[in-house]
Amino acid sequence: MKTKVIFTFPPEIVEKPISHTLMKEFDLWINILRAKIEPSEGGKLVIELQGDEENIKAGIELAEKSGVGVTLLENDVLWDKELCVDCGACISLCPTQALTLDRDTFKLNFDFGRCVACGSCAQVCPVKAISINF
Amino acid sequence: MGVKKATREVDVVTTGTFSPMCSSGVILNFGHTDPPIRMQKIWLNDVPAHGGLAAVDTYLGATSLSKTMEDYGGAHVIEGLLRGEEVFLRATSSGTDCYPQKEIETYITLEGINEALLFNPRNCYQNYNVAVNTSTRRIHTYMGTLLPKLGNATYCTSGQLSPLLNDPTFRAIGMGTRIFLGGAQGHVVWHGTQHNPTTKIVDGNKIVGGGTISVMGNLKQMSVDFIRAAVFPGYGVTMFVGIGTPIPILDEDMMRFVSVCDSDIYTTISDYSCTHKSKPVLGTVNYAQLRSGSIKIGDKEVPTSPLSSYAKAREIAEKLKKDITQGKFLLQEPAWQLPNKSSNKTSE
Repeated sequence: MKTKVIFTFPPEIVEKPISHTLMKEFDLWINILRAKIEPSEGGKLVIELQGDEENIKAGIELAEKSGVGVTLLENDVLWDKELCVDCGACISLCPTQALTLDRDTFKLNFDFGRCVACGSCAQVCPVKAISINF
Repeated sequence: MGVKKATREVDVVTTGTFSPMCSSGVILNFGHTDPPIRMQKIWLNDVPAHGGLAAVDTYLGATSLSKTMEDYGGAHVIEGLLRGEEVFLRATSSGTDCYPQKEIETYITLEGINEALLFNPRNCYQNYNVAVNTSTRRIHTYMGTLLPKLGNATYCTSGQLSPLLNDPTFRAIGMGTRIFLGGAQGHVVWHGTQHNPTTKIVDGNKIVGGGTISVMGNLKQMSVDFIRAAVFPGYGVTMFVGIGTPIPILDEDMMRFVSVCDSDIYTTISDYSCTHKSKPVLGTVNYAQLRSGSIKIGDKEVPTSPLSSYAKAREIAEKLKKDITQGKFLLQEPAWQLPNKSSNKTSE
């Protein structure tokens, strides 16, 4: 299975080789989608984890035990459907086609499976219907 | 169904659009204070409003920017009023014998003031160009964020649902026409500023020009479903305005006009990296191509963004249809027609 998560590193644990441990000990494939971590400030890492469900679960538990804040990507990329006016200003700026307009209803579709939390949509949304906690 | 039969069977066709329309704003009358003040400098939630009218009248433009808050402007104040929020009013005056008060600070609400009239000098562009960027840097425009090297394209009318594209000779939409405006019933009050309905031929395709309308309605009856503040990063604040117009099918010509399809309506692709008024035209494209999600410019497949909400445009046209069939919305014949010639002078 595959899952996208956001790891939040407090500054005191940036030295720990957490991704390496997840690969070695839990046989997980790690695809880094986005990363911004500073030694003195900590930071965030957007990754896709691929492997057995059990191993993913165990890997996330280990990361959390090591002090990493773990959230699912779709819990950190927030789309407020009530605020959204389905204008489509975001769709041509989305590099992964996670955002599209439905062919029939012309309402906005958000495919979180394709999202890499780049934040382009949040920057351009004219009514601030999309926000990203990164 | 042919045009003849359709003309016999269809009485009215409704249109709709929900787009950012910068030339929008609201006329407010706050009611007098005691002692009275003639407001000369006015701020609403720190957004400057016009102080050149009578004592407690003002005009607040949608694009007017807050002095203290980023990404906040006149359109947000208007949306706030519609949401029932309290808005902080501050005004100053030099003071006169008849208006001695020199300063006021208070809170106002939409319900608590005398008048709030949405008055938009230019709305509802008939047709508008497609914006692209051929430069090597990202640019921020009123047509949204444009990625370098033709990274994306933006367009901004509801195409086949756009009011003035369904009435290109302005037989149904003229001065006095009753329209759907922001969720209420409003009127076309004049042609819009920069009204430019001239048609030109580019690359063998007919490009219908930019006719515009000036509209007015009672903000107190409107809703945030159809009036919304918008921020375009690096450009500023503007306002989504929802407008729908009824078009009575007077004859077969009218039926033909309202049968217009996205694939019949062409517009030009303009390079917004050029900072001059006349921008280089890179070609033409129709709305069916634009709505497909990407267009071809040369060999390049360029993703498109509408900016104007087609889902909302449909909702407006449907709502207007329902109101007409239920007898809640009566059609109003124009008092006189919009001009068929341009007012597009420049100030070079």
